[in-house]
Amino acid sequence: MSKNRFSGMVLFGLVVALSLTMLPALSEARNIKVGIVDTYSGPPAVYGNDALNGFKLALEEINAKGVLGGKIEFTTRDEKFKVDVAMAMAKELVMRENVDVIVGTINSGASLAISEGVAKAEKVPFIVWTAKDEKITGELGHRYVFSTSENTAMGGKAGGVGLAKLPYKKYWIAGDDYAYGHAIADAAWRNLKALKPDVEKIGESWWKIGEPDLVPYFTAIKGAKPDAVIFCTGGASMTNALKALKSTGLAAEIPSWIHTAIDHAVLKPLGAEGPEGVMGTIQYLFYYPQTPENKAFVDAFQKAYGNPPGFPAFNAYITAHLIAEAFKKAGKIDKEKFIDAMEGLKVKSPVGGMVEMRACDHQAVYPMYFGKTKKLPEYDFVVATDIVTLQGNEVLPTCEEIQAKRKK
Amino acid sequence: MRKNGSNTKTILFLAALAVVLLFLPSVLTRFYTYILSLIFVTALLAMSLNMVVGHGGLFQFHHCVFYGVGAYAFALMITKAGLPMWISFIVAPFVSALTGLIIGWLCVRLTKLYFGMLQISLGSLIWAIIFRWYSLTHGDDGIHGIPMPDLIASTTSAYYFIFLFFVLCLVVMYLIFKSPFGMTLQAMRDNPDRCAAVGINVRRHQLTAIVLATFFAGIAGVLFAVLERTVFPDLLFWVLSLEVFIMCLLGGWFTFAGPAVGAAITVALRTFVGIYTEYWTLVLGVLLILLIFFLPEGVMGFIYSKMESSGQRDAAGPRGV
Amino acid sequence: MLSIDMAALGSQLFVGLSRSMILFIVCSGLSYVLGVLRVPNVAHGSLYMIGAFSAFSITKLVAGPAGFWLALILAPLIVAAVSFVAERALFCHLYEREHLMLLLFTFALSLILGDLVKIIWGAEYKSIMSPAAFDGSITVLGASIPKYNFFLLIVGPFVALALWLFANKTKIGKIARAAAVDREMVGAVGINVSWVFAFAFVLGCFLAGLGGALVAPTVSITLGMDHNLIIEAFLIVIIGGLGNLWGAMVGSLIFGLTQAFGVLFWPQFAIVFPYMAVVIVLLWRPKGLLKSVW
Repeated sequence: MSKNRFSGMVLFGLVVALSLTMLPALSEARNIKVGIVDTYSGPPAVYGNDALNGFKLALEEINAKGVLGGKIEFTTRDEKFKVDVAMAMAKELVMRENVDVIVGTINSGASLAISEGVAKAEKVPFIVWTAKDEKITGELGHRYVFSTSENTAMGGKAGGVGLAKLPYKKYWIAGDDYAYGHAIADAAWRNLKALKPDVEKIGESWWKIGEPDLVPYFTAIKGAKPDAVIFCTGGASMTNALKALKSTGLAAEIPSWIHTAIDHAVLKPLGAEGPEGVMGTIQYLFYYPQTPENKAFVDAFQKAYGNPPGFPAFNAYITAHLIAEAFKKAGKIDKEKFIDAMEGLKVKSPVGGMVEMRACDHQAVYPMYFGKTKKLPEYDFVVATDIVTLQGNEVLPTCEEIQAKRKK
Repeated sequence: MRKNGSNTKTILFLAALAVVLLFLPSVLTRFYTYILSLIFVTALLAMSLNMVVGHGGLFQFHHCVFYGVGAYAFALMITKAGLPMWISFIVAPFVSALTGLIIGWLCVRLTKLYFGMLQISLGSLIWAIIFRWYSLTHGDDGIHGIPMPDLIASTTSAYYFIFLFFVLCLVVMYLIFKSPFGMTLQAMRDNPDRCAAVGINVRRHQLTAIVLATFFAGIAGVLFAVLERTVFPDLLFWVLSLEVFIMCLLGGWFTFAGPAVGAAITVALRTFVGIYTEYWTLVLGVLLILLIFFLPEGVMGFIYSKMESSGQRDAAGPRGV
Repeated sequence: MLSIDMAALGSQLFVGLSRSMILFIVCSGLSYVLGVLRVPNVAHGSLYMIGAFSAFSITKLVAGPAGFWLALILAPLIVAAVSFVAERALFCHLYEREHLMLLLFTFALSLILGDLVKIIWGAEYKSIMSPAAFDGSITVLGASIPKYNFFLLIVGPFVALALWLFANKTKIGKIARAAAVDREMVGAVGINVSWVFAFAFVLGCFLAGLGGALVAPTVSITLGMDHNLIIEAFLIVIIGGLGNLWGAMVGSLIFGLTQAFGVLFWPQFAIVFPYMAVVIVLLWRPKGLLKSVW
């Protein structure tokens, strides 16, 4: 071989090699980055941790097979339940970490701020997984925000439907004095009144969030002698409320309904001393339904984290699977294609059956459970019994209602 | 009092700093531009607080009320009243100053801790009103997506807009600091009785300082709303007021520029330490303790004493920039 | 407007009084430290929180009523130990410095203690139950009040009396009072002022821990419970008169009773009551209701 020919072949080889190294850079399989903003300090931290655990459990299954040739990785930021910190963290995740999806948080104000100021402004999909404000997918919803959390519209309707079956007429409404408390009160009352027009509201009490001493409020309510009470407490005050319900004897005398009262996170610390006869609604219970899927979910969670999953873990688990399936359906790591793929997507629910991500408002659809607390011998703590299941479509506002709200 | 040499040096240093800050957006990524804008807003807030705390010796424990009122006034005028952004921008700080006048007038009869506690109570009442008046303010849901004119909509243009007003306010604050009014205020901080004996109306002076400080706090609130396009009740919560107070102490509350440095350190810490750990309040607590023991005059105070001891500045006279 | 009968009114009165006593027990330590060291102890809320969490741990180790009573004794001691370490290692070196530095120190301490509680105990909600003897309500003069709240109603004045006897009738208590007013004089007489302050600080923190342990059965023990308390505690101590023990009692009564009756008549706006009470008191009596100790 002549020298020229040899150098020509070497040159040709180099060019081929170089082109080959460039090609993977263009279509290289990379990991999907998820940025999580949530509260890991203060009273809501227990929910932030639960959600993160549910997400991590789902990722173990998902990453075993991988998505689009890579894995799903995540990074967390603690907003400490402050809206300004949440905004700054969300911006950092999008502008500096370049995440593909933002996920979070339990703070409704922060969720709305991130939805408007980061998701919509930067065109990055944002999935809300614990905050319960119905505005998130309601009147303030848009293309870039999704919710896998149940919201006050759903909770209120579930409560209203459950209470309308009961004979009580004179109601007292009480709760934490913030947007969530009032929203759930409005939703519950609206639905109850629509189904049972002869109910009457004889009074209202509102206390500051985290109020440690609810005894004066409960004794005053007892004195007013309503037939039943609708309590609108958030997670932080719930254990307090349940304790005061028992110590003032209110639980024994007057029936009450509290959204998320049957959440295990608030019943567990009370142990056997939790109040009985309190009605509540929730979207996940680790002991009901006793399907094989739920049992498997609970066992895996219990083994990994030492305690049974709560509703944030349920929401987060679904979120993880939605993210994986949507990217798979989209075929590539593209935010707009991801959003299109999410609409109408169905994934398996940890308790069996499917969960749908509704296209018209980006809200996940799943059933709600209405039950009453009772002490059963097989558990160390109080659980929900007499459970009535309300299907997702029974409790969600219709697509027409949502469109009407968003147009206003 | 100050040698001409060190005066020119300071001006040159500041000019260089300004030029650097003007060029930064072209080299930094969007996130760092955003964080710098946030630092300017927070620094302005801290400097406005220091007008009454460091220079005036008043226990202004709930300064953020005026910050939040400015932000909300701005947001409400744009979203509810439909007023153009420029008009809202000008009017909102006056709303803060008016609130400052009313609360200040009620508090100024008291001294020290009592002044601070009454202010916390009155401020918390305002917080409760904004929190509860859902139909007007949307309570803790907040007001989001406040529309801004395209001129200042992008990260970089918002940066320049905020930087411009930050510098303007600083210049005005410095002029007040150096003016006879400012000098009298500091004298009243150190010895109110002697000032009264000389015939100065201490109460009126303090009230004027409060109104000025709250006006600047209102500007900071408006700039925050411009940057984040969102307002929420946390802006008026006592926890934030305490944080801003700490920023002043951290930076050096007897100096002019100290609070701005304190604000920069706090925002930077919160953002960058927060990326790595959820325990950054622990980090902040440890840092504060280190500060108390090793840098009791704050960061700027320390820097100034170092400069004094190495003979670069005139040791006599107040700690101006 | 709801129809109020005498029984309901009576119930609210007792509940208000028990709430006042709870507030007083928790604030007494804060007032004492303010009285002797002239510093508002911002870490008071965190120490109260540690008292509640420690009580929880103790009741988990020792079951039943024995665990509860043991917790009442041990938890305050644990808190006192923590405060002693903080005081001797760091705080005492600051006594010569200006008050703002001392305040800043207590604030930094509260930040550190808050995160330490999260590290040690975690984020889950915890709860203690009062001993079975306290279950249910009792009826006093026609009004019903939970038994445990009635217990606290009795304990409050005892704590007040014990603290008053200590501060005024014991040698060290009197020295502490003197040191608050004129520390140079006390030092000149040959007494180690630093140890006097140490003792006062640790006692105040002991009371914070006792407050946390006593109140724990009535609240949910969570992170952030230090924040819920601290503003109210400060407002009470201020309106009562700086450092004045009976002032703290009066402040607590005002807070507890306005809340209990406010809740009866105007329950939708309960969040403004404490602030309104303080505004009215401070506008009427700018230096607090009772004389300040210094």
